[in-house]
Amino acid sequence: MKGSMADRSDDHLVDLAKQGDVEAFAELARRCQERIFYSIFALTKNHQDASDLTQEALMQAFKSLKTFKQRSSFNTWVYRIAVNLTLNFLKKGKRDGARQVLDESLSWAEAKEDASPSPEGSSLKKELSRKLREAVDSLPLPYRASFVLVVFQGMTHNQAARVLGCSENTVSWRMHKARKILQASLNPYLEGR
Amino acid sequence: MRCKTIEKWLSDRIDGELSERKIKSLQAHLERCPSCRSYAAALEKIQDEARSIERLEVSPSFWEEFTSRLRSDLSSKKQEKRLERPLVKRWRWAGASAALTLLIVVGLYFLLFFEKPVPEMYVFSYEDSLAQIYREIGRDPELETLFNLVVLASIGESLEGAGWQDSAGFQESSLLWENLSEEELKLIESEIKKEEKIEEESHEG
Repeated sequence: MKGSMADRSDDHLVDLAKQGDVEAFAELARRCQERIFYSIFALTKNHQDASDLTQEALMQAFKSLKTFKQRSSFNTWVYRIAVNLTLNFLKKGKRDGARQVLDESLSWAEAKEDASPSPEGSSLKKELSRKLREAVDSLPLPYRASFVLVVFQGMTHNQAARVLGCSENTVSWRMHKARKILQASLNPYLEGR
Repeated sequence: MRCKTIEKWLSDRIDGELSERKIKSLQAHLERCPSCRSYAAALEKIQDEARSIERLEVSPSFWEEFTSRLRSDLSSKKQEKRLERPLVKRWRWAGASAALTLLIVVGLYFLLFFEKPVPEMYVFSYEDSLAQIYREIGRDPELETLFNLVVLASIGESLEGAGWQDSAGFQESSLLWENLSEEELKLIESEIKKEEKIEEESHEG
């Protein structure tokens, strides 16, 4: 059953899920849950919140599947639900977005293998990496959301705009502003590299 | 070209959102502007660093647990929907029946306890206007007489229009008198008395 589901297109699975096929929906969820989880995690910095919000977004999508007109892809639609949920969650201040809680199932991968083998170079890179995370976390929420989707998830401005429910131009300006802020706060560390 | 515009273009270029034409203008500007070159280098470093740090490793057990929880929630939701459906249908029927019963009860109540007023048949429907004119006339006898004559003439015209004058003894018809209002009857009575008085006076004279 699982194998046959995996071969089907998103559209076909959506049609089946609309008829109440849980397996079809589970396959759709499997295809997008990781990306959604990572995006939410990048915004909340809390794995439990990210996990709960991803589950909640998928459940909301399942419940309101009949209202999904398939004008956009299923991924974009669920993404949008997830990002809206997360932004509302953060706006309501349910959790301090800067707090990071990791457990044994999650860990930050070490930064890419440093090209410079010297201890000094490695230390500088780690410092920059830490400062960059802090700087991204302290970006205003709309800028942070755009930055996460475009830089961390590799979305185009158009895709990010669809998820965020704004224009491409807005995403473009938010990216520019976000980079200006990051550059200003990281300037001393960037020059030292 | 202003450097502020170039900074925005640099951001768009990193995201692969800058047109070829603008890229050419951007390159030309960067060749002669050290400040923008420095800014461009900083943005590239930030971009490289951001891509390298955001690599959260999640163990397979995390996803197994996640998927199992999701499947369980989905199945519960589906079950819930199944149970809800007949209940919702039952409630819909109950609601519709209650509304219908209420409608019947209210209908019967009005039918039995509120008698529909029988519409009065007026030969003349001047009652309200007559009262208003009487108030305006006040105590002026001359105007009152004139007005009474006008009313009588209009009664005559109405009767004439209905062809009553052609039938002998139309005054004796119960339909004529029964359909007249109290006010109209009083008016006619007063006019008859006046006529009788005039006749008596003329006889006496």
